[in-house]
This record gives sequence, C-alpha cells and structure tokens, in this order.
Amino acid sequence: MGKKRVLVVDDSSLALMMVRKIFASRFPDWEMIEAKNGDEALTVVGEVHLALLDFNMPGMNGIELAEKLMIKYPGVALYLVTANIQERMQQKADAMGIGFVKKPISEHKLVEIMG
Amino acid sequence: MNEQAISLRPATGQSVLVLSEMEEDALKEFFNIGLGRAAASLSQMVNNEVLLSLPQLRIATYQEAAQMLVFTQAEPLVAVRQNFTGELNGTALLIFPGTGSLELVRTLLHEQMPLAVLMELEQETLLDVGNVVLNAFLESFTQMMTVQFEFESAEFLRGSSQFLLDLESHLAAQRRGLPGGAEDQAFVLMMDFKTHDEELMQHTLSGFVVLLFSQSSMEILKRELKVILGAF
Repeated sequence: MGKKRVLVVDDSSLALMMVRKIFASRFPDWEMIEAKNGDEALTVVGEVHLALLDFNMPGMNGIELAEKLMIKYPGVALYLVTANIQERMQQKADAMGIGFVKKPISEHKLVEIMG
Repeated sequence: MNEQAISLRPATGQSVLVLSEMEEDALKEFFNIGLGRAAASLSQMVNNEVLLSLPQLRIATYQEAAQMLVFTQAEPLVAVRQNFTGELNGTALLIFPGTGSLELVRTLLHEQMPLAVLMELEQETLLDVGNVVLNAFLESFTQMMTVQFEFESAEFLRGSSQFLLDLESHLAAQRRGLPGGAEDQAFVLMMDFKTHDEELMQHTLSGFVVLLFSQSSMEILKRELKVILGAF
C-alpha cells in the first residue's frame, strides 16, 4: 500500500515550508503535495486523503476550493488554515464539514488533527 | 454601498535594501496573519464578515511612501494611527476613505442616529476600533519574531493621504536625531478590507491598513527573516 497523501495549498512559500517541516519530522509516512493556488491544486492527479487549504489566496479562496475538492475527492478530510477565523465563515465551514487550523500552523495542532 | 479601489504604485527609486523572494514572501505572510487576526476581531465588532485583499509590499523612500497610495475616493480620509517604538519603529494606520468611518460608527452602535450625533461619536468610537484592530495586528508580529516593541496611544486623524502618510512627521519623535531624511527608505505594507453583509448582499464598509517600518527597522526585519527562514 502506498503512502497516504496530504494536499497543502497556500500562496505563501513560508507557510508551505512550515507544514513540510512538520510532516517530514512527525509524519514521514505521508506524502505531501504542494500547490500555490486553487487552480494548481485542482490539477493534482491521484488520491488525496487530507487537504490543508489557506483561505486568503489569489483566485478562489479556501472555501471555494474546498467545494471543488469535495467533489473530486469524496471523503477527503478538509481543513481551512487561516488566522482570520470569523463566526460566519466558521458556520459555513461547519455546515460543509470543514475544520479550522489557526495560522501560523503549529506542530501541536497538526498532531491533534492527524490523531 | 461604499466601494473603493486602491493600490500601491510601484516604487520609482533605487532600493538600498533588497529582499529575496522568500524574505518578501515571509513578510507578506506575517502581515497576512496579523491582519487576519485583526479582521476576526473587527468581524466580531461589526457582526459581519470581513473580507481581506492580498498583501502588497513596496520598499520606498519616505517621500515616495506618501505618494504611493492611489485613491479613487475623495479626500479627506479618516484614520486611526498607532506608532510603535523599540527594536522596531514605525506606524500602523487604519484608514477609512470617504464616509466609511461614519458607516462603521453607525454599524457599531446598532442604532439610527442623526448625522451630528454620529460625528460627535466618530472619534471616540474609531479610537476604540483602531486599538482593537491595530493591537491584534501588531501583537501577531511580536509573536512571530523575537523583536520587542511598544505601542504608543492611538491617535485620531483626518486629512489628506499626504498628511496621513507623511513619515517625516510621524516618525520625527521616534527617530530621536538619527541621521536620515526624506530619502531614507521604509517598508510599506498594505491590505484593504471590506465587510460583507449576507442579508443585504452588499459590502457595507471598506478601509485599509497600512504599515510603515523605518529604515533601521527594515534592517532588523531582514535579520529576523533570515533567522526564521534559516530554520527550514
């Protein structure tokens, strides 16, 4: 059986590096696929088990991308990664079954959602 | 509906401090996180969704900084300004073009009031909002870096963009006789925001946050960014 795959979408290279470092040290059995925006994320081929999506990106935002990923990968675990957690956004995400991770992402939080 | 379109003009001068692509990316990400937190606070206050633009960053001389913001709305502008001093020196501004500030006061008070009463409450209310938003924003910078700085009291300002962004006057007290002048450079970071009312299906308030770091702070920020990026 192949590695499990996490798709991380963020227009910030720093944010991608932070997540990459945590996955490399704590979850080496996972393969991390990176994308800088929604359009790039939608070109990813193959199965995805978990997706961490920045909210504020050029083009489509994290929730718009999540809607498309839900169709492409039914059953994928989706999390919005943002410092901007607002009640209405949270209600919308809750209704869609999307979780939240506060930016900057911490090892502790990532371990918690992977647990 | 209070729509606006603003952007930062490209800097025309030659920069003495060049940021690598990664350093610029990191600085924008810190700004994005800081303003994200501030937007969450503002959203609670106005009970509406607050939408943010993508961060813009320029390195400009003090002289240029005041001329970089391109406004499509009539001045004067209303702003809450908070200077910060310490290892990092600079100015954070929460700016509302046109009648945006009165819209905010009206929203926060949840009441229909005569214009004269709103105008009376404008300064006090905006200072409260500015404190919450700018502090949430600036504190996130201190959490992500090892630098320390303190905030001065927030000030209410009304005037032209030239007046609001005039670093020569803003930073005069902070610079404490340090050499330099109008040709000194500053980081200019800007993001704009607007509230979105789901029921009315429209944007009800818009404004923007501008952050200016002095030349000495630019060097410190660059050093900090190197340390942070070196960890990866």
